[in-house]
Amino acid sequence: MSPRSRIGRWSGWLFVAPYLVLFGAFILLPVFFGLGLSLFRWEMLSPLAPKLVGAANYREALSDEYFWKAMRATGLFVVMAVPLTVLLAMSIALGLASLDRRRALYRAAYFLPVMINISVAGILWRWFFNSEFGLFNAYLAKVGLKVPWLTDPAVAMPSVVLMSLWWHVGGPVVILLAGLKQVPETYYEAAAIDGAGPWRQFVHVTLPLLKPVLLFVVVMNVIGSFQVFGQTFIMTRGGPELSTRVLVQYIYESAFNFYRMGYSAAMSWLLFVVIAAFAAVQFFLLRER
Amino acid sequence: MSSIRRILTAVVLAGLVGGVLWWNWAGGAGGDPSAVRVRFWNGFTGPDGRTMLRLIQRFNQENADAHVLMQRMDWATYYNKLFVAGLGGRAPEVFVIHVANLPRFHRAGFIRPVDDLLAGRHPFDPNVLDASCWRAVEFGGRHLGVPLDVHPQGLYYNRRLFREAGLVDESGRARPPTTRGEFLDAARRLTRDLDGDGRPDQWGFAFTHVSNNFHTLMPQFGGDFFDAGAGRCTLDDPRNVEALRFGVELIHTHRVAPNPEDVEAWIGFRQGKVAMVFDGVYMLQALLRQKDLDFAGAPVPRIGRRPGTLADSHTLCLYRGLDGRRLEAAWRLVRFLSDHSLEWAGGGQVPVRPRLRGTPEFAAMPVQSQFARQVPYLNYPPRVPFLFEFRSEFGLAVERALRGRAPAAESLAAATKNVQRVIERDREIFGRPAEAGP
Repeated sequence: MSPRSRIGRWSGWLFVAPYLVLFGAFILLPVFFGLGLSLFRWEMLSPLAPKLVGAANYREALSDEYFWKAMRATGLFVVMAVPLTVLLAMSIALGLASLDRRRALYRAAYFLPVMINISVAGILWRWFFNSEFGLFNAYLAKVGLKVPWLTDPAVAMPSVVLMSLWWHVGGPVVILLAGLKQVPETYYEAAAIDGAGPWRQFVHVTLPLLKPVLLFVVVMNVIGSFQVFGQTFIMTRGGPELSTRVLVQYIYESAFNFYRMGYSAAMSWLLFVVIAAFAAVQFFLLRER
Repeated sequence: MSSIRRILTAVVLAGLVGGVLWWNWAGGAGGDPSAVRVRFWNGFTGPDGRTMLRLIQRFNQENADAHVLMQRMDWATYYNKLFVAGLGGRAPEVFVIHVANLPRFHRAGFIRPVDDLLAGRHPFDPNVLDASCWRAVEFGGRHLGVPLDVHPQGLYYNRRLFREAGLVDESGRARPPTTRGEFLDAARRLTRDLDGDGRPDQWGFAFTHVSNNFHTLMPQFGGDFFDAGAGRCTLDDPRNVEALRFGVELIHTHRVAPNPEDVEAWIGFRQGKVAMVFDGVYMLQALLRQKDLDFAGAPVPRIGRRPGTLADSHTLCLYRGLDGRRLEAAWRLVRFLSDHSLEWAGGGQVPVRPRLRGTPEFAAMPVQSQFARQVPYLNYPPRVPFLFEFRSEFGLAVERALRGRAPAAESLAAATKNVQRVIERDREIFGRPAEAGP
C-alpha cells in the first residue's frame, strides 16, 4: 500500500476527529453514563452512597402519576406542534418559492424569530398572552373576547404551541425552500405539457421529490418537540395545574430540585426510547421504495 | 490591508498581555501571597450584589492577612453548583443558604455548625440577633450558621388608588388595612369597573405567588403543614382549609381579586390595576426604580386568628472540615458581615438585629421598616429536606382551589396524600425522620 493511499484511508477519520472527540465526550459518554445511573438509587441529598437497584427506577416511573401527566402534556404538544409546523412551513416555503422578488427579505423575516433566544421570546410572549393586561386580549377586548391564554389548563398548551410556531417555523421553511429549489424546473414543464394543474403538479412532482427533505423536517421536528422545555418553562413554569409541565421539565425538576439523579436518568431513558421509536416508525413509513 | 490587520492584531495582543500584567500587579489575582484565601459564594446578582461586593472590599482592606474572593451566581444555578461542589469536597469556605434550604444541605452533611465558635477567639453574642431568626437556624440543638437578614412577605399597596377610594387617615394619607374586616372593605372599594363593561378592570387585591401567599395566610389561621417530627403532613388541617376558602371567596364570592395570574398580578400592581398584593421585601428595588408608582409597604393584615407572615433569611454558613487559619478567617468574615448588616439592609433587606432596626438610618427606609414590624411573628418554611416536593404539591392544591376546579378541602386532601408518599419514600431511603441530621 502506498503512503498516499494510507493517508487517504485515514483522512476521513482525521476530518471527523475534532467533532468525534467532542461528540464522544459530551454526548456518547453522558448517554451511557446516564444509562448506568438509571439503574442506581442515587439521592444526592443523602450522604448514603448510590445503590444498585436494577429496574426499580423504571418501575417507579411507570407507576408515577406525574410521569404520565408529563408524558401526556408532551404528547399533546407533539401532536399539535408537529403537523402544524410542517403544514405551515410547507405553505410558507411554497409561497416564498413562487416569489420573483424580495424572496431573501421574506425568508429572513420568517427566520428572524429562530435566532431569538428562547428566554427572550418566552418572556415576550408571556406578556402578549397575559389575560388581564396582555397585547392579544387588549385587541380581543375590542370585540368583547377575553381568552385565558396561559391561565386555563385547557388553553395553555395550545397557546404554547402557537408561540412555538412563531418561534421555530423559520427553520423548516428555510430547509423546505432549499429542497424546493432542488426540484428541476423541467419536471414542472413536462407535467404542465401533460396537462397537470398546480395541485397535481404539487402532489405528483413536488411532494415525491421533496420526500427526503420532508422526512428530515418531520423527524427533526418530532425529536425537537418531544424535548420541548424552554417555551413552557419560561412562559408557564409547567402550570396552570401542571397542564404544561412536559417530561423534560419533570426530569429537570426531579434531578435539580429533588436531587433524584437515578430516577431522573431512568425517565430520560424512557423519553429516549419513545423518541427513538417514533423516529424509527417515520423512517419506515417515509422510506424510499 | 494586510499590514493594517497585522498592526491591529499586534495592538490587541499587546493590550491583552499588558492587561494581564497590570491585573497581576494590582493584586487582582490574590494580593498578599501569605494571606489566607477565603472563597465566598452567594446568589446576590442584583443590586444587593454590589452592596455585598463593597462590604467584601472593605473586609479585604481591613484584614491584610485574609483575602476573600466573592463569586455570585443566580440562585438556581448557585444552589446546584454549591451542592455539587459540596458533594465533591470543593465547596467554598463561606456560603449563603436560605433557611428554607438548610434542611437539605444539613442532611447532605456539609455545613459546619458554629456553636463552638461563639465563645472562641472572635466571640459572637447571638443575643444581639432576633431570637426567632436565631432559632430558625437551629437543628438538633446546633446552629448551622448566622442569619444575615430576614426577608418577610408584606403588604404593598398603591397609595394613589387608596386615596381615590377614600381609604385615608385623618390627615389624608393612604391608610393600609390591618384586620380582616378592613382588608375586605378596602378590597371591595378598590375593585372598580372603570370602563363600564360590567367587568372590573381595577382589582382590590391579587395573588402574586400563590404558594408564598398562602404560606403567609395559613399559619395566621393556626394551621401547620407538618406534625412536630415532620413524620406526617397536616396540610389538610381544617384551619388550612379555612384559610384557602378565604382565598377562594376573595375571587369567587367577594369578587375583589382576579383569577390567579402568578407573576402577572405583580405586573398589574406595577401598572396600577391592582391595589394590594402580598410579596417579599426583595421586590422593593424594582418598585423603587419605577417613578410613576405611588406605593408603600405595610405588615400583612391579620386575616386569621393571629398575625403572621412568611419569611426567610440568608444564612452565612461554613463548610465542614475547615480548621486552623482558614476557619478563623472564614468565621471573621461571617462576623464582619453580620456586624455590618445595616449597610446590607440598604440593598433591600431587613437586619436581624433589633438594635440596628432602632437606628434612624433604618427608620428612614420606609418599606423595610414597615415590613420589619412583623419580625416578632415570622413563619419560616417547614423544616423538611423535601421542601421542593412539598411546595410543588402545595402550589398545585392552592391553584386548583382558587380556580374553582376542586373544593379547598378536597384539593388539600389530595396534596396531603401525595406529600405523605414523599415522606414515606424519604423514610424508606434514609431510615430516619426528616428533621434529624446526618
